[in-house]
Formats: sequence, C-alpha cells, structure tokens
Amino acid sequence: MGLLDRLNPLSRRPAEIKASAGDDLFDDEFQRKLDYLAIVSRKVFAGRMRAERRTKKSGSGIEFADHRDYQPGDDFRYLDWNVYQRFERLLLRLYEEEEDLSIYLVIDASGSMAFGDGAKLKYAKKVCAALAYVGLANLDRVSIVSTSDRVMERMPQTRGKARIFKVFRFLRELEPAGVTDLEGALKGFVAQNKRRGLAVLISDLYDPAGFERGINVLRYNKFDPFVVHVTDANEGRPNLQGDVLLYDCETGDEREVTVTAKILDRFAQVHKEYLQEIERFCATRQVAYIGADVTVPFDELILRVFRRGGFLR
Amino acid sequence: MLFAGLPFAQLAAIFAVAGAAVVAFYILKLRRRTIAIPFSPLWQRILKDKDATSLFSKLKRLLSLLLQLALLALLVIALGDPRAAATLMKGRNLVVLIDASASMQATDVAPNRLGVAKEEVKAMIRGLGGADRMLIAQMDAMITPLGPMSGDTSELDRSLDQLAPTEARADFPRALRFATDTLRGVENPEIVVVSDGDLGEATDAAGPVHLGDTKLSFVKVGKGRRNVGITQFAVRRYPLDKSRYEVMLEITNTGDQPEDVELKLLGDGMPVDLTKYRLKPGERLPRFYPNLSGASSKLEAELALLDGSHDDLPADDHAYALLPERRRAKVLVVTSGNTYLEAALLLDEYLEVTQVSPVAYVQKYAPKLATGAAGFDTVIFDGATPAEMPRANTIYLDPRGPGSPVKVEAEIAQPGFDHIERRHPIVRFTALDDVNIARGHKLVPEVGDKVVGASQDGPILIAGTRAGHKFVALGFDVRDSDLPLRVAWPLFLLDSINWFTDDDATYLSSFRTGEVWRVPVEASATQATLKSPGGLSSIVPVHEGRAVYLGERSGFYELSVADAQGGSGATAPDAPNPAGAASLTTGFAANLLDVTESTIAPADQLVVDGKTAGPLEGFHVGVRRELWIYLLVAAAILTAIEWATYHRRITV
Repeated sequence: MGLLDRLNPLSRRPAEIKASAGDDLFDDEFQRKLDYLAIVSRKVFAGRMRAERRTKKSGSGIEFADHRDYQPGDDFRYLDWNVYQRFERLLLRLYEEEEDLSIYLVIDASGSMAFGDGAKLKYAKKVCAALAYVGLANLDRVSIVSTSDRVMERMPQTRGKARIFKVFRFLRELEPAGVTDLEGALKGFVAQNKRRGLAVLISDLYDPAGFERGINVLRYNKFDPFVVHVTDANEGRPNLQGDVLLYDCETGDEREVTVTAKILDRFAQVHKEYLQEIERFCATRQVAYIGADVTVPFDELILRVFRRGGFLR
Repeated sequence: MLFAGLPFAQLAAIFAVAGAAVVAFYILKLRRRTIAIPFSPLWQRILKDKDATSLFSKLKRLLSLLLQLALLALLVIALGDPRAAATLMKGRNLVVLIDASASMQATDVAPNRLGVAKEEVKAMIRGLGGADRMLIAQMDAMITPLGPMSGDTSELDRSLDQLAPTEARADFPRALRFATDTLRGVENPEIVVVSDGDLGEATDAAGPVHLGDTKLSFVKVGKGRRNVGITQFAVRRYPLDKSRYEVMLEITNTGDQPEDVELKLLGDGMPVDLTKYRLKPGERLPRFYPNLSGASSKLEAELALLDGSHDDLPADDHAYALLPERRRAKVLVVTSGNTYLEAALLLDEYLEVTQVSPVAYVQKYAPKLATGAAGFDTVIFDGATPAEMPRANTIYLDPRGPGSPVKVEAEIAQPGFDHIERRHPIVRFTALDDVNIARGHKLVPEVGDKVVGASQDGPILIAGTRAGHKFVALGFDVRDSDLPLRVAWPLFLLDSINWFTDDDATYLSSFRTGEVWRVPVEASATQATLKSPGGLSSIVPVHEGRAVYLGERSGFYELSVADAQGGSGATAPDAPNPAGAASLTTGFAANLLDVTESTIAPADQLVVDGKTAGPLEGFHVGVRRELWIYLLVAAAILTAIEWATYHRRITV
C-alpha cells in the first residue's frame, strides 16, 4: 500500500466482502451426496417418519388427537358417541390432519456471512441446498428466503425432487449484502408466509441488535424454528497483531486496537462465550439448534441434523 | 558549551528537518492497518475497559514521540562535537617516559612497579583532553617510542601494551634528549616521567640536557627499599693451571634493615659453595673464592633471604658467568731438533704440538700458512727463519736472514738481559736477569715493536706485530745459554703463547646488561645468530670480528656463526644448517651487576636542569572531554528504552 493509499481513508478498507462464486457449489459430486442424503433420510426414519408429516392441526386424519366441546354447526360424524353414553357430554373427536409440511429455509445473506473468503455463505448455501433437497424428496413444500436486514430474495414454495435445480439457481444468484437485522427480516418473513411450518434459520447470528429477537419472532408466530448456526473457527482466533484499525464489515464501525496475545486470548474467550450463549438460548427455548462449523463437511452436518431431530418428524 | 564540529545554525537546521521527518513518520506510524472484522460488538466487549485509559494511552504515545525527538536531539548535538568552553584550550603535547629499568621490576607494589606505572599511564590516557596528544616511550638502556604521538586513546592503549621490562639501567639523559627533541617547536610541551626515581644526573656526552619551556612532571612509582643483590660477579681460570679457577663476587644490602642471606654458587647447576652472611644496612660485601676446580663451565650465583621471604627486587638475586674454554693451542715447531724446546712445550697439556723440519715446513706448511688456512695458533721457528713470515703468531728463536721480522745485526759476545720490560706478558713470572748467554745477535726493532729484553750491546728480545699477527724474536740460540736449565724457559714460552692467544688477558666472564656487547666471533662472518636466555633467537651484525648487540637481559647467551669453511654468515634462527655449513657456537653470560639499579628506594622528587619536576596535573580520569561519545551512549540507552517499552506495549 502506497503512502497516498495510506493517507486516503476511502481506500483503506480492503474488499473483504467477496461475491460468492456459486458455480462450483452444486457440482455433480454435490448432487450425488444429496441423493445419498435423501436415501439415508428415508432409511433411517422409515416407519415413523414417512414423507408425510403430521401437524397438530385437527382435521380429517386417522389418528386421534383430542376432544373438544361440540359447537353448533360441527359435523355430527365426528361426535364421540361413546363418551356421550358414558358422560352425557357432546364431545367432538379431533384427528391429526395429515398434510405436506411447509419448510422455510431462511438463509442469512448479510455481509458478515461473506466475510473473509466467503466460506460461511458457501457453506450455508450447501446446507440450504441439501436440506431443500431432502425436503423436496420427502414431498414437502420447500421455500427459500434470503435475508439481511429485510427479506431480500424469495423462492416460492415448491415440491418434488425435480425442483432442486430451481433451488440451485436461486442459491447461485444469491449475493451477500447489507447488515444483519434478524428481527426486521423475520418479521417481514412471517408477514409474507401465513402458512406456518418449519423455519430453518441458516445464519452466523451476528446481529448487532441481538440474535434472540429474530428467533423469538419465529417462535411467537407459530413457526417451528430450527437454527443452523454457521460458524468459522478462524473468526474466534483472528490473525491479528500490532496496531490495527478494526472495522465492522457490515456496519463500518471502526475501532483502534493494539492487538496483543492477551487481547487475542480475551477475544477468543468472548467469542466462545457468544457461541455458548446462543446454544444456551436455543436449549432453554426448546429451539432446535445445531452448530455448523465450516470445516465440517456439509453432508456430515446434514446427518447430524437428521440425528438431532426436528427437521424430519 | 561550544561546538567543535558542525556550527549551531547547521545543527539547528538538521534538527528541524530531521525532527519534521520524525514527526511525519510518527504520524504515519499512527495510521494503523485497517482490518475488517465480521462482528464488532464482540470486540467492543473486550475493549470497553480500554476506553477508560485512552487519555493515558494518548499521553504515552506523546511520550514515545518525545523520546524519539530526544534521541534525535542527542544525535544532532553529537554531530556538533560539543565541548565545554574550559576544555577548548590548546591541547598539550606530552611525551611520557616510562622507566623500564631493572629496578622497575621490584615487587614492593603489586604486581610490580612497571605494572603500576602502566596503570598510571592508562589513567593518564583516560584523562587526556580532547586536543591533547601523547607519545609513550620506554626508557631503559635505550629509548624506544612505543607508538606515534596521538590523541587516540585506543592507539595509545595499544602502544602501552608493548611496554616490556628489561634488566638494564635506564639511560635517562638519552630519554630526556629524545623527549626534548620530540617536543621541540610544539605547543604546550610536557614531559612526564613515570619512574621509581633514582635516574641520575641528566647529563650525557653533549652536556646537561636543557628542558627550556618544557614542563616536567614526575609520577613516582614504588614505596619499598628492601633489597639484597649481587653487584659484582667475575670468574677466571688460573693462567698456569687452567683446570682451576677463582670467583669474585660482591653482594650489597641496599635496604635499611640488616639482612641474613644465603649465597649459593652453582657450577653447571650443581652446588659448588653455600655460604650464609649477615649484611648491615647499606653494606657491600666482596667475597673471593680461590682455587675452585671442576669441569663446570656455567657458573651461577644465587642469593636468598634466610627467613624464606623475598626481597623486593628478584632481578639482582642471580648472577651468571661463563668460564673461559680450555682450548688446546695448536703449535707448529719448525726445528732441526731441540730437546729443550720439546721438553718445555710438554709442560702444558693444553698445547697440541706439531714438530716439522725446516724442509718439510717449506714443502708442506708454508703455502697453507701463507694464506692463514693452516689453523695453528703459534709457529715456533727454532734456528730456521722462513723467507716470508707466516700468517700466524710466531716465535723466532735465533732468527737469521731477510725473513726475520726484525733486522738481525752483528753477533754479540756474552750478552745478558741487562734491561727487561717486566710488565710485558711474555716475561711474566720469569727471572731472566742472571741468564748466561755465550753468544747472540743484536736485534733491531721497527717502529711499534717492543724491546722486552736487551743487553748493553742491544736488544735481544723483541715483541711486536706484523700484518696483524704477533711475533716474539729471541736473538740467541737457547742451547748457547743456560736458559733451558731455568724455570724461566718454559714460562717464557707459555707466556708468549698465552699472549698470542689472549688467554685470560681480555676474557670477560660476563657482559653487563644495558651496554653494547662486542662478542668475538669468526672474523669472516658478517652476521651471527644470538639465542637469548628466554630462548628467542635473533640475527645480530658482526663488525670487525665481533658481534654487536645491546643486551638488556641477564643470563646465558649462545652466539652462532657459520663456520668459515662451511659457509658464510650465520644460520637462520629457526632453520637447520645447510649441508656442509657447520655452525660455530660460543656462549657468554650477561648480568645486571649495577648497585644503582639494586638500590630500589624510590626518589621523592626528580630534578632536571635545576628544575624540580612537578606533580601530574590536568588529567581528569573518567571525564573525556569529547562529549559526543557520551551523547551517543545516551542515544543508545534511549533506543534501548524505546525498544523495551514498545515491545512491552508500554508506549503503544
């Protein structure tokens, strides 16, 4: 960097946010792994978790769910006469309605996801594609939404394995931009999607306003949130030394720091505590959570998702 | 404060430019590397504590800048070579004469006086002013400048390191003459004499040394005076019995206390005599050891205190002497037959006699003797006079004809030794007054010849020199007298032969250190190899048949020259003799034997040219007047502090 470059504040920031090159993300090898994962998902959960998923919505299913008092206008066919005979109360039998599940894959496409070499966003795209394929293969309705501080792009609900290429195309065209505001973005998301379902949030959860708010938006609006927390271990131990001017790749906030080994240790500790804080939050709120380190192969992560449960019910 | 280097205005300009550059670079240094991070709130968590100390951090950064500016100021001032105004006086020109004589080896001060003198001069070097220049010279039997006149302390230190002790007397007048000559015409001349004092009068052959305006300072070294030394030592063989010898020595107590000493005489390392003496303060005790015998050639005298302690000067506790070699003299006798002559020559076992007839001499020996290559010390012509005098020392008995070294005139009837030159060596211990002679011839001496014996009618015994060779001419046939029946006859012959070979007459059992030695060697040699007591060999020149060397160490020396028949010149000290070049080695001894040097009581003052030398002044040890050195040191220390505080994150 030349002297003039150093004196020019406009030229100080390196292009840390790089456009993700999506062409090599979904190659043949990737697609073979998707097929394998789809087979595994059927094999492992056969019998109890078929393609059809059950909702708690009462309806015309075959499996009893609950009773409720009769209301005028209800279908007499669902009256439980045995109960009436024994208790002389008119109760209506409720059944779990079998329907195709809506899976919303919410992928965080903010600037922080493309930090460094964009490994987190690439990884998020792969995980998103894999989960979408599994959902499509299980005849679920799959929708993908990219967010930053708002809903940026949206792939409408679709079903069937053949639509996976639409997913690929959507993800390829996804570019990182903007700051993270999960609350604002997910409020927009729930407003646009009246049909409740599984909302898989794939994000690094670097939200200056707090990651809790975004997850709570999903919870409070009857979505089943599933958090895939994309992390990069290098961010916990950055390669920094000496006098540096740190700036936030999303917000642009600057901070002068003289980085010493002691400060690096403290930062690593804070970063670790942040991750633990997220995990603890999800655990206490019964939100499915899985940490996704970019160094873990994505197919292995998908298997962990299966084992973890919550995605396939 | 004045600047001897760059002027102040120039320094100010340099500081302004360099200071601006420092500030500019400092600002640039503060422009930090910009690093992107994905999520700044995490950093804010750990940096919120730092905010509280940001003001202190700024102050520390300012301190760092000030430190660098101070560093720059020190370097710029150093460029100016600042000097205190008081030190900018004209520099002195000093000649330091360090006494390296034998007495400076006295151990009354540790390690010895010379070591203390060295330290004194070192302190003087440290205290030299910026414009002072100094020359260090070693003063012993000669004066040796140890380096150039310089103000460079490291160069002066190197000069001082060359200082070496000697076992000789200091030639103070010569050293003073050298110093005054060196300082002639320079400003602020000063001579500093570092010595234990007793240097004698500053007068040489050219008269007293005048100091003129030259300042003279004296640094006294030493404090003790306890010493007993050997001040005389000589040995010689008896002329008539070379198997026996006598020793004369003298020991002196130069201290102020009585001393009990043990004197040991060693012959070739073996004890010959051991005697205990008690010497009063200042007593000189001569001792004579007659009639010593043995095959020893190297004699050594050792002096030790009886109480087992050591006196302050060990250098004079030893003395060395070499006994003259008992060499066989080669004598050629040319005679038709003379029983008395043959019998007389048999009396001395150290004579190697060859007897030939006059005819055989002419045929066989005369050509060799004409060139001096026959190797005979003496040739005796008994009644046969050669046509040409041989190149050898010669005794003519009843010479005749033109070949005689002296003219032979008419026959004298019944001559006698009416006049005898009794002090001449050839008639030593003889009684010739009543010798009866039937007939003889009058001899006519030439100019320079010595008439040793004469009758009333003319000289009958003459000694002299022809073409560098001595001769003795006796003007009668001994068989025509009763001389062969007397003791005087063999004595006369042996005295003559001894006179020829210089036996005992000029022999020196030892040389004295500090003097120029002239050691006889093979006349044809041009140089010789001298091996000193320490084992070091050096080449010395040979002038007129004598090796010339200024010796300053006592002990036994060996002098080697190439044999005339084998080659010319001395062999190289460390090279083997070339094939056929045999080496002739002679030995000799050297001793201090100087009561002045043995008197080690230091003098309190030094007087030269009527002026008393003053104490040393003007040397401020530890304060170099060249302040730039200290400025550089301060800059280096500041740099180290800056380095340490930076890497310990104190000033960042």
